[in-house]
Amino acid sequence: MIWDALFSTLFLAAVLRVATPLLLAAMGGLISETAGVPNITLEGSMLSGACAGALVGGFTGNPWLGLIAAIVGGAIIGILLGVLHLEFGADPIIVGIGLNLLVAGFTTFIVFSLLGDKSGTSSLGRNLLPTIEPGPLAGIPFLGDVLLGQHILTYVAFLVWAAVALLLARATFGVHLRAIGQNPLAAATAGISVKRLQYAAVIICGSLAGTAGAFLSMGYVSSFIRDMTAGRGFIALAAIFLGGMRPLGVGFAALAFGFFEALSIRLGNLDVPSQLVQTIPYIATLIGLGLFAWRETTRRRRGSGATGQRRRPVTPGADPA
Amino acid sequence: MRFERIRKEYPNGVVACESISFEIQPGTVHAIIGENGAGKSTLMKVLYGMEQPSSGQILFDGQAVTIPSPQSAIDHGIGMVHQAFMTVGTFTITQNITLGAEPQRRGFVDSRRAVAEVDELARRFQLDIDPLARAQDVSVGMLQRAEILKALYRGARILILDEPTAVLTPQETIELFRALRGFAASGRTVIFISHKLREVLEIADEITVMRGGHLVGQTTPEATDEVALAGLMVGRSIAIADRHPAAAAGEVALEVAGLSCLNDLERPACTEVDLEVRAGEIVGIVGVEGNGQTELVEVIAGLRAPTGGEIHLHGDVITQASVRSRRAAGLHHIPEDRMKNGVALPESIEDNLIVDRYTGSTVRRHGLLSPKRIGRFAEELISRFGVRAADSKVPAGSLSGGNIQKLIVARELGDQPLVLLASQPTRGVDIGAMEFIYAELREARDAGCAVLLVSADLGEALTLSDRIAVIRNGRVVARFDDVAAVTEEDLGRHMLGAAESKEPA
Amino acid sequence: MTATESAAVAPPVPGDDREAARARVHRQRRSDLVAAFVAMIVTIVIALAIGFVILLIVGKDAVAAYEWLLTGPFSRTTRIGRVLIDTTTLTILGLSVAIPFRAGLMSLGAEGQLYMGALTAAVVGLAFPLPPGLGILVPALAAMVAGAIVGFVPGWMKAQFGANELVSSLMLNTVLVRIYGYILTEYLTEEGSTSVASAYLPNESLIPTFTQLTGVSFDQANLAVVLVPILAVAVWLILQRTSLGYEVRMTGSNRLFAAYGGISSRRVIILSFIISGAIAGIAGAHLVQGVNGRALLTLSVGTGFTGIMIAILARNNPIVIPFAAFFYSYLKIGGDVMEQELSVGTEIVNVILALIVLLVTSQFVMSLVKRRRLSRLEAKGQP
Repeated sequence: MIWDALFSTLFLAAVLRVATPLLLAAMGGLISETAGVPNITLEGSMLSGACAGALVGGFTGNPWLGLIAAIVGGAIIGILLGVLHLEFGADPIIVGIGLNLLVAGFTTFIVFSLLGDKSGTSSLGRNLLPTIEPGPLAGIPFLGDVLLGQHILTYVAFLVWAAVALLLARATFGVHLRAIGQNPLAAATAGISVKRLQYAAVIICGSLAGTAGAFLSMGYVSSFIRDMTAGRGFIALAAIFLGGMRPLGVGFAALAFGFFEALSIRLGNLDVPSQLVQTIPYIATLIGLGLFAWRETTRRRRGSGATGQRRRPVTPGADPA
Repeated sequence: MRFERIRKEYPNGVVACESISFEIQPGTVHAIIGENGAGKSTLMKVLYGMEQPSSGQILFDGQAVTIPSPQSAIDHGIGMVHQAFMTVGTFTITQNITLGAEPQRRGFVDSRRAVAEVDELARRFQLDIDPLARAQDVSVGMLQRAEILKALYRGARILILDEPTAVLTPQETIELFRALRGFAASGRTVIFISHKLREVLEIADEITVMRGGHLVGQTTPEATDEVALAGLMVGRSIAIADRHPAAAAGEVALEVAGLSCLNDLERPACTEVDLEVRAGEIVGIVGVEGNGQTELVEVIAGLRAPTGGEIHLHGDVITQASVRSRRAAGLHHIPEDRMKNGVALPESIEDNLIVDRYTGSTVRRHGLLSPKRIGRFAEELISRFGVRAADSKVPAGSLSGGNIQKLIVARELGDQPLVLLASQPTRGVDIGAMEFIYAELREARDAGCAVLLVSADLGEALTLSDRIAVIRNGRVVARFDDVAAVTEEDLGRHMLGAAESKEPA
Repeated sequence: MTATESAAVAPPVPGDDREAARARVHRQRRSDLVAAFVAMIVTIVIALAIGFVILLIVGKDAVAAYEWLLTGPFSRTTRIGRVLIDTTTLTILGLSVAIPFRAGLMSLGAEGQLYMGALTAAVVGLAFPLPPGLGILVPALAAMVAGAIVGFVPGWMKAQFGANELVSSLMLNTVLVRIYGYILTEYLTEEGSTSVASAYLPNESLIPTFTQLTGVSFDQANLAVVLVPILAVAVWLILQRTSLGYEVRMTGSNRLFAAYGGISSRRVIILSFIISGAIAGIAGAHLVQGVNGRALLTLSVGTGFTGIMIAILARNNPIVIPFAAFFYSYLKIGGDVMEQELSVGTEIVNVILALIVLLVTSQFVMSLVKRRRLSRLEAKGQP
């Protein structure tokens, strides 16, 4: 019975749906991490985007304006992280924790102030970004009910995945991002402006996470609900590490998280402990993290320590002390 | 191109360069030599736009230019090969060479053209590389050739090489020199930073010598020799004290047998070193920097793993022992780079003084650290060793360099150690502190401590040591038991490897 | 931190008049302390002002709102009680992360440790009927052990493999919160219960509340509040007076110096994570044995993170942490009152707190002061 449920087309469609925000946010986070800015504000950027999207979309009645607002809402968080970390030298993790808290408080506050309802924006009425209608192809098995008829942002998410993969592999911009993340000093001495690229990275990251937020509040659920990200930003972060910081791996990790989340929803109906099923991807991440780190240490012990340091942006010309 | 009265003062008050003026002719190999801390690297960072001069200017063809960033230096046709390579490990050699200047097509890297261009460049300058290999997988020599090509790829007319031969095998060095001569012949300028005198004499057309942030001499290989250069570079040591030889030395306290280890680049740093230090004597280790003495001391101190050999402390094998148990056995250590691991700058003097005894009864009471006892202990050391500090609770970082060194000496010599490793104990301190540290080292020796002294200052080594060993390429190449009969020139010949070639065994 | 920075600027000391120098350093130290304190006040005022402006922008009566925000907690005894409850929980959580933070380790695992502590306290309290006294102590100690075990995992992964402790502790949180939910739902919730929650613990396992003791209603505030000064002093003692604390401080300050001095970083990493977990476990026991009397499905949305904010605000100083926790709890309850009275969202308090944290970590006020000082110095230097 479980197996039937697993391979039903409905279930596979659900996987794609659940994975969409994870995929978008993970790709954003991947860009930021690649550029050497540890970014735990995915959660906050998503929430900010979800709220801004629902509010603007709801008040204007135009979901596309809502989407733009969501992107801007997410990007603002990225900019704040960039300014505090890159200009004031604050620790990106602590700033991230602060920004997440700021967004959680501010979104609830603003929704309550504007609408008088703490739980969310449902009073603004339904306001959804469109789902692509399968049209005459609906009858084709699998294609018709899994791949077609998904939400427009699901397609966007997969496009973003492909674009990020291409960007990091081939585009000058992406190659430079990888360089500054791995050895900022090498990039700086080669004449690359580390700070400018890191700004670009956190802004792109915020925008993509904001888009993920728009999917949450204007995808299937038609309103913003307080704290509706419910840790998805951290799941996306986990996907980045589970995927070994490579676009392909990160994307599949996000899909895996989506699979297990969809599975837990499904199994919840079938009286299998859904909470335990939900822990599987996290445990997998933990093990993956351990193995990854273990491989790194043994590799370093074996040699090839000649190449540059990772992480921690270093700006040339800084105090040598 | 010309430097004019370049001065660089860091925010912490250290003056790295003081009024440096000289000219570099196009089409030549110009060597800048000096000890660590002489200011040569800082001067090059100024030229490459990584540091801004506090005053003075740089002129190209008589025109003053400002170089605010590496990009600007690149635009001026300056390329730099850094001592620590600026490579991205997971990138290919081609990607590293073209980084920041990639051939592009609509925003994408045109990798085929990049490989072709790099390949062509490598052929033209006869620098052998594998354009498609990953940087983390290739030899250090190839990485360096890639770094040179990186500069040339950007059209460098002036090529700065910071200690380029430190990581090369002799064969690779020969090839590098051939390439460098080729550049000079093609009208480019090579600035060659080094402290290896022999190489400088071999490659340079002109030589500039720096010491302590000052320009102390300019010459050409024809007009000088190694000994004269070494004299300029190190400077005559100030005759602050006469020799005070030890009384009779006692038992062997520290014995190193067949010790080998690797450096940070995973290359052999020490090879089968044998040493013996007896109680009540100072054994000096001299050698041109980078010949394995740093690593040797780290291995004995327990901070670096040996790849072979044994270390005995009073007959006990401590090869695998932890730092703590070595310290407990009486092995103390004045580290070479005091700012790196000798102190925790933000912490109080007290906390810095008790790092080797915070578990001991001198500073504890009722099972806890006792502030009163720590304070008393620290104040006593401060006054005994004349550390100039307002009180024992100020952070170590508020002290001057010389006083930080006194702090470390106080910690390591405060209670009679059995064995002391003293690495460059007076580097960068003023004469007063230097005299004081000399006296303390002697006093410790006379009280029966076995001291292993590593110094780049030959005068210091000759003044303090009772016996001297010369280290070169990670091997002990000469030993002198009668230091009174040894001159700096004798040591210099062995350090440079000139002795063997002149007197074949 | 600021105190050391400006002390470092102090001019070199001539050896002879040490007394004068000492006096100068002491003066300097005092003025640095004053400056840090003033900077903190200015930071808080800036954040409150931004909050005020936000209230004005959304068209609220900002003056009345701030009146309730700042005086509300004292308007009823139950509200004072709630301030005490939150101060206790947040002090414990703030203290728990202070030790790894001081060692330079980024532990975000307080949340999971709290949940496991709560679960263990509930299970032990329900399973073993014990006499009074022991009845309180045993579940609480069990909670500490559970927290310590949970804390050990990311510590061990860091020490053994160098695995990023930030990510591993985050992942572990999610896993543990879900396991908590599973065990609570499947095994501890009584049949026929309308909500997901365990049975109430026997009275012997409950910490006496002030309401019981005084007859005046202080909500669920309980004697666990005595843990606030006790734990703060204990953590201070650990950091300042024990070998481990010394090792933690030196490792956090300069890892290479610690290694040179013979300090084992493995020991520091693992022990600081274990102690951290044990302390966070107590917070879970407090929620079960003191506040709720039973294990509830949702214990603390993001309380673990709030604890981290408290530690950051207090700059990891264990003696300051209770004050920071009180400050936050006071505003939080004030915000709740404000919301009840004026229907202004209490979340503005979280916004204000987050702003304070952001201003503190970016050293915003201090860097402004420094810039002014520098420009004044430069102005003096130019003839």
